[in-house]
Amino acid sequence: MRDHRTRGQRGGDRVRRRKRSALHRIPGIVLIWLVAILWCFPLLYMLITSFKGEADVLPPSLWVAHPTLGNYAIVLRHEIVRYILDSAVISVLSVFACLAFGVPVTYALVFGRLRHSDNLFFWFLSTTLLPPVAVIVPVFLLFRLSGLLDTLGGMILIYTGVNIPIVIWMTRSFLLDVPREVLESSDMDGSSRLRSFFNIILPLARQGIISTGLLVFIFVWNEFFFSINLTYVHAATVPVYMASFMTQEGLFWAKLCAISTLVVFPPMVLGWLAQRSLVKGLTIGAVKG
Amino acid sequence: MLLSLPAIVIVAVVTQAPILATLGMSLVKWIVVRPDLGVTFIGLDNYREIFTSWDFYQVVFNTALITVVSLVVCTVLGILFSLMLNRDFPGVNIVRTLIISPFFVMDAVAGIIWRTIILNSSFGWNGYFASLLGTKPFDFFGVHSLFTIVILITWQWTPFFVLIILAGLQNIPPEVMDSARVDGTGWLRELVSIRIPVIMNHIEVAVLLGLIFVLKVFGIIFVTTRGGPGYSSANLPYYVYKTAFLGWDVGHAAAVAVVTVVITLLAIAALFRWFRRRIGETA
Repeated sequence: MRDHRTRGQRGGDRVRRRKRSALHRIPGIVLIWLVAILWCFPLLYMLITSFKGEADVLPPSLWVAHPTLGNYAIVLRHEIVRYILDSAVISVLSVFACLAFGVPVTYALVFGRLRHSDNLFFWFLSTTLLPPVAVIVPVFLLFRLSGLLDTLGGMILIYTGVNIPIVIWMTRSFLLDVPREVLESSDMDGSSRLRSFFNIILPLARQGIISTGLLVFIFVWNEFFFSINLTYVHAATVPVYMASFMTQEGLFWAKLCAISTLVVFPPMVLGWLAQRSLVKGLTIGAVKG
Repeated sequence: MLLSLPAIVIVAVVTQAPILATLGMSLVKWIVVRPDLGVTFIGLDNYREIFTSWDFYQVVFNTALITVVSLVVCTVLGILFSLMLNRDFPGVNIVRTLIISPFFVMDAVAGIIWRTIILNSSFGWNGYFASLLGTKPFDFFGVHSLFTIVILITWQWTPFFVLIILAGLQNIPPEVMDSARVDGTGWLRELVSIRIPVIMNHIEVAVLLGLIFVLKVFGIIFVTTRGGPGYSSANLPYYVYKTAFLGWDVGHAAAVAVVTVVITLLAIAALFRWFRRRIGETA
């Protein structure tokens, strides 16, 4: 009897608390909206400015008096298109090379009978700790000697080498999710390890492998250090073009914003798509994503 | 094993062999644009030069300051934002998207956008607010350039912390929170004694990865302050770049690179051990 009443009271408390908190929550919700808009403000304002005429850019204002797509039209006739194409070629080919070389390693690490598989995994991991400055001087001299400097092939090589460890790092937790029994049963069916890789592992871990590819694409598309040091004109990527834009173009801020919007759009969309797998993969399953 | 060979070879060629070469080059005097001088072995002279140069200590100090301050701020903001996002409210997905977006923006664009339309002292919002308040615009690229770099890195990396910490919060079983609520635990007590300990693992991973990435920061500095004025906002990677490609003193640059690697690995190892020991104590 007494128990019953207590439970009833508690229930009432809860209802009251929930009602109170519904009103209570409004300031909190407004606050988080404000924080988010403020945090993203540079990007939002970049987007706004890209629709302004050059004459309307100054003084800064959030209002677009005469919205125009003119900046985009001008910018897309500009040499930037070539840089975007180069960046796209380098990024896409690097992604495929990284996956083609990296995923089999993860497969061997997770399902193979390597004696030192942990050591090999940590060796790959350890290479991602190193700052790129540790290798840039010899790589530059080597590239200059071998004619790879300022070529698409050279950039693809360097990005593949740098990102294979990221692929192994990311895909390990996805392959670990594939139940061992599945592979063992296909072993018993007499299918070879290579066949099971293509027929069983790849389809089951597809989602994780695709997200890994997206992440590598973002990394390569945005990469600055190697690109600025190893290219000049022929294989220069978008970030290099952006870095030189200000010196070339003076104060054409509306066009600057239009270009910037164009080039940050692809990685951002891919990032939104891949965010959940990204957490899971990057944290090596140390935490659950 | 056969499958792994190509990957091992490529990674070794691109990352491991050059490190050995860097190590070797750090022992010679070699100015690439002066082939007439040749390459001469000078032992540890490059290192002696580094450790007696005032610039180097300033750059090490900058690197430490940038790393520590931005990681601390990223952690605090990451926890706060994650707590705010870990609820159901109108537009939660849009808010989440707005907050994490800066993470996917390339350094070159992030730096230029901040430098021009936001912080420019005459034409950006910085100048606008200054004239509104009747004060002088804040000098983001002179005396306060190091501060500016810290702001930009924090802006880019807080979203990454949010991604990981939020995933941790969403993993807390609802029963845990429910029982705390029935016990009548206050909001702050609930946060400090239940939520933070449960997501500590996530926070550690975020800080560790953050450290690895922030120590490599280069692009943001290149497009905003160029490490200047002087070396006042340069970090170690930028310092290596400057010695290598502006002075073409390859031996010296290689020596700085070696020192950078050692400092990087020591910092990561120290943080890692600290985290492990903390876990040992609580277990």
